[in-house]
Amino acid sequence: MTDEAQQMIEHIVRLIRKPGVTVDENTALVSSGLIDSMSLIDLLVKLEDLTHMRIPAGKVQPKDLDTVAKMFATAQRVGKPRK
Amino acid sequence: MEAAPENRSFVTSWIDEDERESVTFGAFRHRARLQAAMLRDYSVSVGDRVVIIMPQSIAAMATFVGAMIIGGVPTFLAYPNFKIEPSKYRSGLAGVTANLDAKAVVIDEEFPEEMLEYVSLAEGAKLIRAQAGKGEGSNSSVPQIRGESLAFIQHSAGTTGLQKGVALTHAAVLRQLDHLTRALKIDAADKIYSWLPLYHDMGLIACFMLPMVSHIPVIMQSPLDWVMHPETMLQIISEYKCTLAWLPNFAFQFVSRRTPQDRRTQYDLSSVRALINCSEPVRASSMLEFQKAFAAAGFKGSALQSCYAMAENVFAVAQSDIERTDGCPTIWVDGQEFRGAHHIVPVEAGTPRAVAFTSSGRLLLKHEVRIVSENGELLGGHSVGEILVKSDCLFDGYYNRPDLTAQAIVDGWYHTGDLGFCLNGELFVVGRKKDLLIIGGENIYPQDIEEIVAAHGNIHDGRVIAMGVYNPDLGTEEIVVVAEVESEEALGDAPEIESEIRRMIVAAMGVAVRTIFLKSPKWIVKSTAGKAARSATREKLLQEHPELRLEI
Repeated sequence: MTDEAQQMIEHIVRLIRKPGVTVDENTALVSSGLIDSMSLIDLLVKLEDLTHMRIPAGKVQPKDLDTVAKMFATAQRVGKPRK
Repeated sequence: MEAAPENRSFVTSWIDEDERESVTFGAFRHRARLQAAMLRDYSVSVGDRVVIIMPQSIAAMATFVGAMIIGGVPTFLAYPNFKIEPSKYRSGLAGVTANLDAKAVVIDEEFPEEMLEYVSLAEGAKLIRAQAGKGEGSNSSVPQIRGESLAFIQHSAGTTGLQKGVALTHAAVLRQLDHLTRALKIDAADKIYSWLPLYHDMGLIACFMLPMVSHIPVIMQSPLDWVMHPETMLQIISEYKCTLAWLPNFAFQFVSRRTPQDRRTQYDLSSVRALINCSEPVRASSMLEFQKAFAAAGFKGSALQSCYAMAENVFAVAQSDIERTDGCPTIWVDGQEFRGAHHIVPVEAGTPRAVAFTSSGRLLLKHEVRIVSENGELLGGHSVGEILVKSDCLFDGYYNRPDLTAQAIVDGWYHTGDLGFCLNGELFVVGRKKDLLIIGGENIYPQDIEEIVAAHGNIHDGRVIAMGVYNPDLGTEEIVVVAEVESEEALGDAPEIESEIRRMIVAAMGVAVRTIFLKSPKWIVKSTAGKAARSATREKLLQEHPELRLEI
């Protein structure tokens, strides 16, 4: 796992505030109800910071952010390097 | 109507620092005609509904106007995005497309496949993937369009309440734009900035139809990009020297708080002549926060303006006097008279327990407003009641819903569901009729309580919801407050914070709160742009605390 993915996981654990929940790269977040769709803006901004990319929000659907692995794949797919 | 000069800039779609798309009026007309020809190829003709579900873009706007050119009746629906729960979106989409019985549904290349099955297509209707279109377009055989025929349908509520399609005639739309242009004193030097969705009246009328008919440019970005990076609004206004923009009340605070102090002076907001607070009750405190935050960026206090608008009237009913230099009038009224008798008794600013209201403006030409009581009696200027509107640009009705239309328009008066009062020619909107809490005969607006609670140092600003919960033992509603603390540690001091909040509410409003729930950060359900969502939060609280659900 990359450092960035690890940082994202730590961020998500802080965000969901549920003791005892473990999150790894493949934990379903949106479809399992762990994260509500409103928190996804926060995750998307964090993803931009970690990847140094600009992610056009309009090209992202909930399923693209369902796991940490998918988030980074989405950033690769639709992200643009930041100046 | 005179056509706009070919080479004048019309829409600039700002995607990011190094990507934007622009069209002149001439190029836009050409693109709209191509879309008109494409729709005609799909047999769309006069009166046919055309549903457009595309990302906020020039392509979506050209499709909309293309449909209008051939006499079709277009409507924008919200595009699916990661913030909208897919199940909610799907049921809304199925309902609205069925109600409209549309001839064509235009989507973009990237529209998610899994949503397609929820688009209900009428017999003979076509699902069209939007294409840029080639060739000359069609200039010939444009049907004669009558003023009383439908121009388009607005679905202002996004994905909820989609059944209510506000049907507007060409005549109503043009009359509204005429009144609005005069009220705002639009001239050729104006430029509009917008992040507002095109399916919303502020985005569609103020930031698309108005510049199109007034021949002025609009620089727009997508609502999602703005929510993620609210500072980009300042960047765009600075770069393009925009003069006009509309924002809902919460955005005044949201942009101020999301822009670090040390970056504020990088922007130049001196070009803005009107930043119009619209679509929610206007709060002087939110506007002052913006003014203080950006005075150093050249933002002028005289640019703070307000407006009262609704899709059912095409857009604006009232607009503040654009030439006033001292901002929107704010009055202070006796709190007890206001809550106890819904009576307006002006008092000195800052009087203890007084309530401040900021005007939403003066009525546009050919507009009338009535303030009526619960029983429909006409009230005088010093009473609060439901706002009824009559104008020459009222909607035709909710599309295909005569039942809802009959409830909304009675004897030519549109019942807005908003509560307010008129004083000295200014219209003041105090809240929604359905949000009003009646506590032991006192009229309490949840926003007033929320503002008081948010002023407590341990409470996260903007993360407070006040609601009424019926207590059958007392036969009245009681106030329940749920608020997020700034940090988890503050929950250790919960009893002290609770009693301080109780004291603050009693001191300011003279009413007692039944229960205060202090919650961890991020507990409250948020809507677009981090605003606390009233009904969803209420549901969450009632689920977690079933003891509250005595009788609702």
